[in-house]
Amino acid sequence: MSDKVMVDVEALREQVREKYRQVATNPAGKYHFHTGRLLAARLGYDAAVVNALPEVAVESFAGVANPFSPHPLARGERVVDVGSGGGFDSFIAAAQVGSEGRVIGVDMTKEMLQKSRSTAQLLGYANIEFREGLAEALPVEDGWADVVISNGVLNLCADKRQVFAEIFRVLRPGGRLQFADIANGKPVPEVAICTIDLWTD
Amino acid sequence: MLEQSGFVEIQIGPSCDTFGGAGGEAKARKYEVYGYPFLARKPG
Repeated sequence: MSDKVMVDVEALREQVREKYRQVATNPAGKYHFHTGRLLAARLGYDAAVVNALPEVAVESFAGVANPFSPHPLARGERVVDVGSGGGFDSFIAAAQVGSEGRVIGVDMTKEMLQKSRSTAQLLGYANIEFREGLAEALPVEDGWADVVISNGVLNLCADKRQVFAEIFRVLRPGGRLQFADIANGKPVPEVAICTIDLWTD
Repeated sequence: MLEQSGFVEIQIGPSCDTFGGAGGEAKARKYEVYGYPFLARKPG
């Protein structure tokens, strides 16, 4: 994972927004990644948990692994979901932490926020909130979170060092970061890293 | 980078064939790209 900012940050951000705008509004579209229930099964999510969710809560899921697999969330924990998208992982987190816990999902794509907020209402979750914001500037107070989760988001952020600094800031001392992301076994040429299209396609 | 950001007790879980059968599979295979779960803790 390179710590150098090698692309135009704002241009990359807009391209990511456009890609996930499509995933929010047309989840059955053709993408270079799997989505929805097929993907959740592939990544080892608990089938009973996923099956209990309505289609609208799952269809725009586009994660890369299961951030809950290393450590289950405990009841009452406060969770931040960085890049919450359509809300799939946030809904699973909300169920795990229960009514005494809280989940704040943060996303920069308005269509994803509209979807996650309306689905939270449909599910009747009172312990979940979705806020508009960037991973590099989380709209969460210092030390608020017991756990930060994220799924397939950090690889799309140009300034990963700033994202980790923000996650560190919002975690309480002793808090956990549980995230899923991709890693490459063979080096990607620098020219490819500098090509924005290759980040999102 | 996690360590440099102050995190400790860093663990990496088993790989997932995230892109197998998807449109991005060929590119993922070329660079051996897989998904992983990570766990880390803020000291305190």
